[in-house]
Amino acid sequence: MKLLSILIILLTSKTFAESAALETVRESDKLIIYSATDLNAIESVLEAFKIQNPQIALEYHEFDTQELDQTIRAESLANQPDVVISSAMDLQVRLVNDGYAQPVLGEAVAALPSWANWRNEVIGFTYEPIVFVYNKKAFQGKTVPLTHESLASVMRNEHDFFIHKVGSYDARRSGIGYLVATQDEVTSSISGRLQESLGRARTKVYGHTAILLDDIASGKLLFGYNLLGSYSLGREKRDSRIGVVIPQDYALVVSRAVFISKQAKHVSNAQRFVNFLISKEGQDVIAKKSELVALFPDIDSLVSQQDVQDQTINFHPIPLGPALMVYLDDSKRRRFIKAWENALLPSSSE
Amino acid sequence: MLMTEKSYSIRTRMLGRSALLLLSIFLILSLGVWHYARQSANYSYDRLLNSASLSIMEGLHVYGKQVDLDLPYAAFEMMQLADEDKVFYQALGTQGELITGYPDMPLPNEFNEDSAIVFYNAHYLSEEVRVVIRHKRLSEPAVSGWVTVVLAQTLRARHKMMNDILYRSFAVLFGIMACVMIVLWVAINRALEPLSSISKSLASHSLISAKPVQATPIQEVSPLVNAINDYQVQLLSNLAVMKRFIADASHQIRTAQSATQAQLDIASQSENLADLPEHLSKIRKEHERLTRLTNQLLTHAMVVHRGDTVVTEKMDIERVMKQLLTECVRDNAHRMIDFSYQCEQQLPLFMGDSISLREAVRNLLDNAIYYGPEQNQIEICLQMDSSGIDIIIDDAGSGIPIELREKALERFQRLENGLNGSGLGLSIVTSVAEAHGGEFYLEDSPLGGLRARLHFPNEALS
Repeated sequence: MKLLSILIILLTSKTFAESAALETVRESDKLIIYSATDLNAIESVLEAFKIQNPQIALEYHEFDTQELDQTIRAESLANQPDVVISSAMDLQVRLVNDGYAQPVLGEAVAALPSWANWRNEVIGFTYEPIVFVYNKKAFQGKTVPLTHESLASVMRNEHDFFIHKVGSYDARRSGIGYLVATQDEVTSSISGRLQESLGRARTKVYGHTAILLDDIASGKLLFGYNLLGSYSLGREKRDSRIGVVIPQDYALVVSRAVFISKQAKHVSNAQRFVNFLISKEGQDVIAKKSELVALFPDIDSLVSQQDVQDQTINFHPIPLGPALMVYLDDSKRRRFIKAWENALLPSSSE
Repeated sequence: MLMTEKSYSIRTRMLGRSALLLLSIFLILSLGVWHYARQSANYSYDRLLNSASLSIMEGLHVYGKQVDLDLPYAAFEMMQLADEDKVFYQALGTQGELITGYPDMPLPNEFNEDSAIVFYNAHYLSEEVRVVIRHKRLSEPAVSGWVTVVLAQTLRARHKMMNDILYRSFAVLFGIMACVMIVLWVAINRALEPLSSISKSLASHSLISAKPVQATPIQEVSPLVNAINDYQVQLLSNLAVMKRFIADASHQIRTAQSATQAQLDIASQSENLADLPEHLSKIRKEHERLTRLTNQLLTHAMVVHRGDTVVTEKMDIERVMKQLLTECVRDNAHRMIDFSYQCEQQLPLFMGDSISLREAVRNLLDNAIYYGPEQNQIEICLQMDSSGIDIIIDDAGSGIPIELREKALERFQRLENGLNGSGLGLSIVTSVAEAHGGEFYLEDSPLGGLRARLHFPNEALS
């Protein structure tokens, strides 16, 4: 797997000249972030932080969720980053459980909803619903399924329409995919039936949201199941070819989890950064400028893009806590992946 | 009264000591509460740990020839009831091999194979943890043996619960202590109130006025009020005696002075020089009486004063008596009086005031000489027995009839008006005897006259 490591020092145009002149950045002014977040989704947030704290030089390394977890565990204590961000809440919780984090200080932490905070050590700073994405052109004149229930039946009834045209995350490769799939099993009673339907439709599995969205937009796929809402809603704004549905029976909500490494070398910068993420200013930037969704979203604006408004959506935020570690258990994971493969990829198991 | 202690407030002292006592009770109770809080927190969360480990044990199954764990989501949701605590777990197979979970969980110090479940504290991944180990026997055809589940949890929720119980209990304890202190404060003030009301009424009250301090219904205080009133009655009677004494003394002095004055007037107006010696002799007699009266008044005052101030020293009574007798014999050499002295034993040293004792005996001797006949016999006799020392002065005079003896001891009472007595002599002797803790008796003398006996009990002897 290719390591997507991008080292950038974010600079606004104003400070560019100065920094270039100084050339070297003082060690104490650094802030090293390891993150499983698309840079273009979070860039505006980093820039806003940079404007508030021009003296801090940000070093942003991008990984995918499982790589990130493996990197943190493999890295020597001296090479640990300052801040770790990932939407794979389960992996983040396990890292914290294993003692990789230190508490985040500040009053804003106490104000967080309880599902977005565990031990003050790992904190959720976004509110990203898990959504359905569809190709608008293909669904012209058709009813877009708005619930898991209706999706299951429509896939069964219109087998020819959906076959080879449905995409979802690869639970084996994608951390967020695995989290969402397991939480589906925990939350919903019809997840087994739905997995079966997805299997029958010969669902294609992907490691990255961006590629999945590309394929839906291009018409290679007609429907995407269980996609990360932040990227999808962001793409929907720019790309008129796709539509996004927040399922109405229940919508899992993933919160991008951040923690400060126990071995952080720039603790005060890290504290400042995490506090910025959950501060009013930070949340404003997340809500208005980034592709992410702020913690206390304006639900109406999310739903307004959807046709139906008469039903309230049952949002189900995934709480940060040790229960998330259950499906990370090796034996449990083997068992789940086996069942998932059997259901979703019947051809490969044959 | 000697002030050996620094002055202190009984209120402050009582409150201080009560506060100290309460504080020690508070500390002892706190220790108990702390113990209780720790136990209940441990008890509650051990049960949680126990249930969760049981639930995990339920997830252990035999698949083919392998034991495998299907980690139950419910077990972790249960653990999440301690919502801020980390969770570590491990499942071991029949050979002790790791099935799943954390590979290096801490083992208990003492491992007891027999018990199905063991709780212990340990240190893991730089956290203090409470661990439970649970064993279960599998007896399937393919696999048989003991399987183990180890489950650990950090202590945050326990500490939180313990602190919660502690703070609440402390608040209650503290409240009770504060209430007790307030009640004590009120009670002590209430108890001391009569004291201040008595001192207030005493301050506005003149002891010389005959009005007693008002009686109190408080049983504990009435003895004090009674004592004060008794003291007042005594003081008033002493004061009355004093007033009478001063009135009597001034009357006596004035009488003697006016008699002298009258004789002087008569002498100066007399034209017959031949009468002059007779007048002079009368004037001299009156003057002698006045002098004697003045001397005795002064002696009386001195004796009373010395008796009050208790100036005592070790003295040899025999020597004092002999000296007195010598003086007496010398002064009365012109009279036909037969003096004798009798002392059969060696007397021990006597604790007393030699000056007042001398004055007393001297008065007795003077009385015997003065009121006795020209041809008299006076004997000083010192005796000692088990009860004490007696100083006895016998004379052969006319004596005092029994019925008048008591009266003779009162001040300014003279039995024979013909002679120049002040009426103070015997009262001086009584005062001296009392000042030495002794007694004074008038009795019949074997010589025919009066016997004056001073008795000093043994306590006065050194």
